[in-house]
Amino acid sequence: MRKEEKVKYLFLLPSVALVLSFVIFPLIYSVFLSLTNWQIGRELSFIGLSNYLKIFTDFRVLNSLEFTLKFIALTVPIEAFLALGLALLSQKSFTGNKVFRILCILPFFASPIALSYLGITIFYEEGGPLNNILSLIGVGKIPWISNPTYAFLSVSLLDIWQWTAFLYVIFLAGLESLPKDIYEAAMVDGASGWRLFKSITLPLLLPIITTGVIFKVIESFKVFDLIYALTGGGPGISTESYTMYIYKTGLRFFRMGYAASLSLILLIILSILLMLAMIRLRRVYEV
Amino acid sequence: MSRKDFSKMLKKILIYLLVLIASVWLVFPLYWAFTTSFKSKVDVFKPLFIPFIQYQPTLDNWINEITLRGDVIMTGLRNSLIAASISALLCTFLGSMAGYALVRFRFRRWSNKDILLWFFSLRFLPPIALALPFFAIFMTLGLIDNVLALIISYTVFFIPFATLVQYDVFRNIPVELEESAMVDGCSRTGAFLRVALPLSAPGIIASFIICFAFAWNEFLFALVLTYKNSITLPIVIAGAEHSQGVDFWYICTRAVIAIMPPVILATLVQRWIIRGLTLGALKR
Repeated sequence: MRKEEKVKYLFLLPSVALVLSFVIFPLIYSVFLSLTNWQIGRELSFIGLSNYLKIFTDFRVLNSLEFTLKFIALTVPIEAFLALGLALLSQKSFTGNKVFRILCILPFFASPIALSYLGITIFYEEGGPLNNILSLIGVGKIPWISNPTYAFLSVSLLDIWQWTAFLYVIFLAGLESLPKDIYEAAMVDGASGWRLFKSITLPLLLPIITTGVIFKVIESFKVFDLIYALTGGGPGISTESYTMYIYKTGLRFFRMGYAASLSLILLIILSILLMLAMIRLRRVYEV
Repeated sequence: MSRKDFSKMLKKILIYLLVLIASVWLVFPLYWAFTTSFKSKVDVFKPLFIPFIQYQPTLDNWINEITLRGDVIMTGLRNSLIAASISALLCTFLGSMAGYALVRFRFRRWSNKDILLWFFSLRFLPPIALALPFFAIFMTLGLIDNVLALIISYTVFFIPFATLVQYDVFRNIPVELEESAMVDGCSRTGAFLRVALPLSAPGIIASFIICFAFAWNEFLFALVLTYKNSITLPIVIAGAEHSQGVDFWYICTRAVIAIMPPVILATLVQRWIIRGLTLGALKR
């Protein structure tokens, strides 16, 4: 082997080896665990596919999947809409544009667990700021945390506040990569405003919008921190996300085997989603 | 004023109005945390939003927090700082090497594109799927409640991100400078360390800060892998017991401590962060 040939592996191998050993090996171990009935502090024995069969009859799996899907259905479209609006607004010229762009990204860097605790105060029913403001305009006390429907809404609001920034960054980068000459040509032809957006910007941006949305759907399946403090999955189990149920199964009830099988199902769902995003991305971009 | 000027002015007003509404929405939670941390216990539950005019701000909450829980918070701060900065440093350096390799060399068994996509797909791995086996593995290794376990976890988790950022940066650095350095007798490693790496400084800063912020904010792994000596700030926040109902004031002081560092860092380098956050791959 030429020296250059060896050097290239020297550059790549450290990270690949590190990631492989700490991702692939644990995942294989997880597959092994999922075939056992291991509970921390007890003897472990093989039980074949029983864990996987149990998933179908576990109402909390169904409940948490239902929550997660409803949560995605509510938050992701709103986030995409807001992010697109913010990205378009950032492209206009106005004083303070630079500061505005920073503000748009900031939520992404705010600690989710701190945000979840802040949520407790913001949505506090007796004298929290939200109910205080609402009472000024004559709306009565809203049970933001103790009522299942409103708890769902408050969790969603936190997610929308934080994750709009994620889509904003993707959309803004997309907007700025659009070729400028098409716009100039269209303006010469007398097109303006809404028409420019509808017949040029939107179609060109669509692949980025859909990939961004799929990425966000994947991220939503992982929602945990934002819920952890604000509702803890409650009231009851009405805001228990799939990830939170896995966490509770494995590390509160210590049923590691069953939790492993639940998490592998999640991995499969997300891999399929990722594949869809990649196909979409590949068709348009040379990645 | 002609009709055209009038509609132009309307448009301008509309833009500023939208910017104002959006800014209030974006800033409110942070503003709320910050101002509430300076409110006296009497004022907390009242609809008061403007300090000095509506209420008199006080340092009491901060003084109480430091005198009563200063130790725990210092432990959390120290561990967060250690775990986040060391893992971000490792991620950035190893990610730079991998990103550089993917730009400057050709790999055969798996093409560069495949390796890149592999890194990219790792970004989407659900943490909970790794948290359970990690718990079992680190328990066997005796590393539970050890900062080392966090450093390893975060490095593994955020290397793919740093690699993508640096891949994007190196792709836009002309190869000629390194070539001439190598003609002058510099080795490949020397050319990387002395020529390419310094030129990629913006990418290094962006990926360091983003990895730092990710690690700083990370909650699930810290929750699973630590319980006492190596708890990070998010765990300190989550572990607070509340004496009477919900202690607004303490929630807010801690939220400010946890939220501020990454937010301030991100503000300082926001120019590079947009590039970094677009995952390197979104490019025509």
